[in-house]
Amino acid sequence: MAIKKGLFKTSIGRKNLMAFTGLFTSFFLIIHLIGNLILIIPDSYFPIEFWGNVASAHDMYNAYSHFLVHFWPISLVAWVLYAALIVHVIDAILITLNNNKAKGEKYKVTDNSTSTWYSRNMGILGTIIGIFIFIHMTQFWLQYKVLENEHDLYNLVVATFKEWWVLVIYEIGIIALGFHLVHGIESAHRSLGVYPKNAMGIVKYIALCFGIIMAVLYAIIPIILYFK
Amino acid sequence: MKLTLKIWRQDNAKAKGKLVKYELSDLSTDMSFLEMLDVLNEQLASKGERVVEFDHDCREGICGQCSLVINGQAHGPEGHYTTCQTHLRSFKDGQTLNIEPFRANSFPVIRDLKVDRTSMDHIIQAGGYISSFTGMAPEANSIPIHHNIAESAFDSAACIGCGACIATCKNSSAALFMSAKIAHLAKLPQGQIERAERVVWMVNAHDDEGFGSCTNTGACAMVCPQEVPLLDITRMNYEYNRSLKTIDS
Repeated sequence: MAIKKGLFKTSIGRKNLMAFTGLFTSFFLIIHLIGNLILIIPDSYFPIEFWGNVASAHDMYNAYSHFLVHFWPISLVAWVLYAALIVHVIDAILITLNNNKAKGEKYKVTDNSTSTWYSRNMGILGTIIGIFIFIHMTQFWLQYKVLENEHDLYNLVVATFKEWWVLVIYEIGIIALGFHLVHGIESAHRSLGVYPKNAMGIVKYIALCFGIIMAVLYAIIPIILYFK
Repeated sequence: MKLTLKIWRQDNAKAKGKLVKYELSDLSTDMSFLEMLDVLNEQLASKGERVVEFDHDCREGICGQCSLVINGQAHGPEGHYTTCQTHLRSFKDGQTLNIEPFRANSFPVIRDLKVDRTSMDHIIQAGGYISSFTGMAPEANSIPIHHNIAESAFDSAACIGCGACIATCKNSSAALFMSAKIAHLAKLPQGQIERAERVVWMVNAHDDEGFGSCTNTGACAMVCPQEVPLLDITRMNYEYNRSLKTIDS
């Protein structure tokens, strides 16, 4: 029998690729969150000393975003991130098509008590997140980084989140992300073969905490901005 | 007790199947599920109808021959039991039971509830063996193995190859079945010779047979009659990635 190996060719290889791209993107979420948290620092905390005297959250946020866009190593990582996301999506479609082919006739009665709903619906959650990322990027990334229509990102963000429907879209996207992470982080480690029993127990716990912490922190920021 | 059965009837692999309703009464709660089907078949035979065909062999829960998805659950509602070890006391009087064959594209229906599970044999044939000296059986205690490793290997070796994991998996992946053998042999000294090649050969055979990718939902391990650990799949993935480094091809 010919030996097939490689990331795209076998059922395990494809899952490895999902794991690598997913974990890399998850790591980015932490960096993204740090920026978001600047938005909700109360005015009473300013002025503070942070690479010089910073007068307000407005100045701090704009300085941070200016740094991200104009510092070349970060731009390079950004391209890797776009690639990772695209590969994650293409790989997910390949896996899903193959899995659908493997399924036989549908059961007339199914019992779903043996697994969690979010672990079975990673594709649907991923699609919601994908739509959300598209909306999110056209609102900020496209305006600020690509078209350069808007140079004061802080004002753009604050103005955008005054719309109630923006808030609703973001909350839906973030909740989907939370569930996607809880299963995704655990599944990624399983796919990569983190097999010692104790290690898997810790990973499971970390996945749950990471999913909840990310979802809660990301979710409260637009709410605070809406009511501010 | 009384039961209403909706049983999948299908003449052959190409024919279209459908659920057919049967009523049974005067059943004992101590009957096994397969004995209940025997009662039904006796009634059908006496009426001159074709009996319901289903897989069974030892009826002791150790051979892995019985199958059936009962109300959406492989091997019935008990969890970690085979269909033959499921008894009617697990059901309520007057309950309606939906009985379907194990379903996957790689499990073509032979007739009614009987499916062809040869695809699983092909995975085992691809690498589920070890190299050994021929001749007399070796002395069992000649290779010392740590107790914990022996126990852990046996947890994996306990797989009876029934295919409930595949029937339950939303992706029809044979990951748990395949990984049980890979983990079993990777843990023991006897399995080291083919350790790297085995996992690649078996994964290739698995994909060639048309099984899907594992998405780690864990449903397989919840229905496994032998409680093969879900961790075996993770172990298999480790062995696969390890083999990419060590295999010589």
